[in-house]
Amino acid sequence: MIALSQLFRAAPPGRTVAFGREGVRDADALRDDVAALAALLEPFAEGRLLLHSEDAYAFAVGLLAAAQVGARVVLPPSRQPGALEALASEVTGVLLDSTPTSDTFLGRPCWHPLAAPRARRPLVALDRESPLVELFTSGTTGAGKPVAKAVRHLEDEVAVLEECFGALLGGGTRILATSSPQHLYGLLFRIVWPLSAGRPLLRSPLLHAEELAPHLGVESPFALVSTPIALRHLAEKEELAPFAPWCRAVFSSGGPLPAPIARRVAEALGAAPFEVYGATETGGVALRQQQRGGEPWRPLPRVEVARDAESGCLVVASPFASTGEALPGGRARCTLGDLVAFDEGGFRLLGRADRVVKIGEKRLSLPAMEERLATHPAVADAALVALDTGGDARVGAVVVPTEIGREQVVASGRRGLARSLSAHLAPDFDRVLLPRAWRLVDALPRDAQGKLPNERLLAFFAETSPAPRAPEPIAVRRGARELEARLRIPEDLAFLEGHFPGHPIVAGVVQLHFAMRALEELLGAAPRLAALEVLKFHELLLPGQEVRLRVELDAGGERFAFSLADAGRPERVFATARGALRRNP
Amino acid sequence: MHSSDSLEAQIKRIIVEALALEDMQPEDIETDAPLFVEGLGLDSIDALELAMALEESYGVAIEDDPEQNQRIFASVKSLAEFVRAHRAVGDESA
Repeated sequence: MIALSQLFRAAPPGRTVAFGREGVRDADALRDDVAALAALLEPFAEGRLLLHSEDAYAFAVGLLAAAQVGARVVLPPSRQPGALEALASEVTGVLLDSTPTSDTFLGRPCWHPLAAPRARRPLVALDRESPLVELFTSGTTGAGKPVAKAVRHLEDEVAVLEECFGALLGGGTRILATSSPQHLYGLLFRIVWPLSAGRPLLRSPLLHAEELAPHLGVESPFALVSTPIALRHLAEKEELAPFAPWCRAVFSSGGPLPAPIARRVAEALGAAPFEVYGATETGGVALRQQQRGGEPWRPLPRVEVARDAESGCLVVASPFASTGEALPGGRARCTLGDLVAFDEGGFRLLGRADRVVKIGEKRLSLPAMEERLATHPAVADAALVALDTGGDARVGAVVVPTEIGREQVVASGRRGLARSLSAHLAPDFDRVLLPRAWRLVDALPRDAQGKLPNERLLAFFAETSPAPRAPEPIAVRRGARELEARLRIPEDLAFLEGHFPGHPIVAGVVQLHFAMRALEELLGAAPRLAALEVLKFHELLLPGQEVRLRVELDAGGERFAFSLADAGRPERVFATARGALRRNP
Repeated sequence: MHSSDSLEAQIKRIIVEALALEDMQPEDIETDAPLFVEGLGLDSIDALELAMALEESYGVAIEDDPEQNQRIFASVKSLAEFVRAHRAVGDESA
């Protein structure tokens, strides 16, 4: 293990530093590449340099060269133009591994970290105290805040990681990562720790299980640095099985890892994932490995944790923390936004403090309600957000419906679905806490880190309710044994046929729903279907269509006929059916 | 507010607007149906909002008397009766 500040003192020559389809680089190549880029960056000493690189080796060269000249590296959280533009005006130069055909980026000089002309600037040890990187919090609220880290914050934390896991990992173990080094977890686990411990790192991010095979063609031990969202996908892949004997450890950070996924990863790779809990401000705080699920977190060596009596939030005192109140010995104390409870020598996280809302004197944990909502068969995924309505806060629900949920929307509109979901929540939650506004979406707008920023959820509620999705009755005529209705199929039924984007059709099962609803109207009670004898779908029914729906009962009220036709051209029939009803007991 | 609307229709519109009820048209509210819990599903915060909106529109003061309020807020019909009986003197339209 070589400290980050001493990296170029003692790295043994010839050892592989990085590998992947971009090529293999050893310690000598790293030394040359850093010396060359450092020579180029000389004029920017003391400046701030923006660095973004998908290639972890190019990233490492950029980081180390900037450190050599005493420049601070600013790490944008993503490559999105908005994120880069916002920061470009605040830096003196830009290091990018993707673009630079031009030598400027947004008006700043720009280089590829690996394209510096061969030159040599003598490599020096780094000052442990000098600021090295500026990262951005990936908070759930608002824009990210910048957080600066000195050399020592990073090197002291990876020293503790090596203390915890060095023996388990062993020397030479390859480090594969799905996580970006633009965030602290990836920066530490994918770049600084492997470089310091002399473990080869995979250059490109590992996004699919299929990519494992080429990288692991040789039988050699590896460790996986990942996130809950990536592990969810990887754990389902059978392709992993052959590599299980070579997997030394799996790490997960960036959000809670659901226990079933932890178990699946353990089955697939033979290694129960180590979860790392931390924050950009504090660095790593605690570890756990879930077996049964819900095991408490145990603080990392040198990290002290407590509960703030007033807010109930977690307080961290750590040498890896770079914001908050300074403590002796280079440590800092920082209060995080997570609610905590202590037990069994560890602690449990009870959710974000900003995810607990107070409505009419009642407290609501949004995650608890989300969990309950997700148990309803109509819900595939759901997220809640507190809406500011001027008076008391109200809960807004963003729901990804299942097929069952979609059918219910067609049959009874968004309001119908909202009602049954409210009824599902009602036994466990006070009435004032129930969601007041509902949005149905195809997917929740998670960011690259798998987080769901509040403002993305709030955006769904920025406009008032979209048009109702149930068919709109225009006119209804009813007799004793027959009912005829003119209906308009709303355009946003398009949403219901996600399978055919751009070609929305109204599914047959949905048309049958219309028939059942009409029979219910006629009978004054839900129809009990005994048999469906003739069911035909003649033409495709598209949203926007005005239809004439007709149901007719026989004299005994035991048999029915149903038809759905174009309201303007009755000869154009969409569906017909005949069937028998069971008598009500 | 159209003066030709019945008081009941006006109150329905106030309910939908003041409480920002989604996927609801004023006509969807039945005049006799319960507004709270099993009917429209309004809650105690809605009651406060609604009381303020009615006070603003009709100058009627609704006191903090749970038993009486349970009767007043039972339905659109009972609200309309209350407003008719208590609205500010001098406004006899509707």
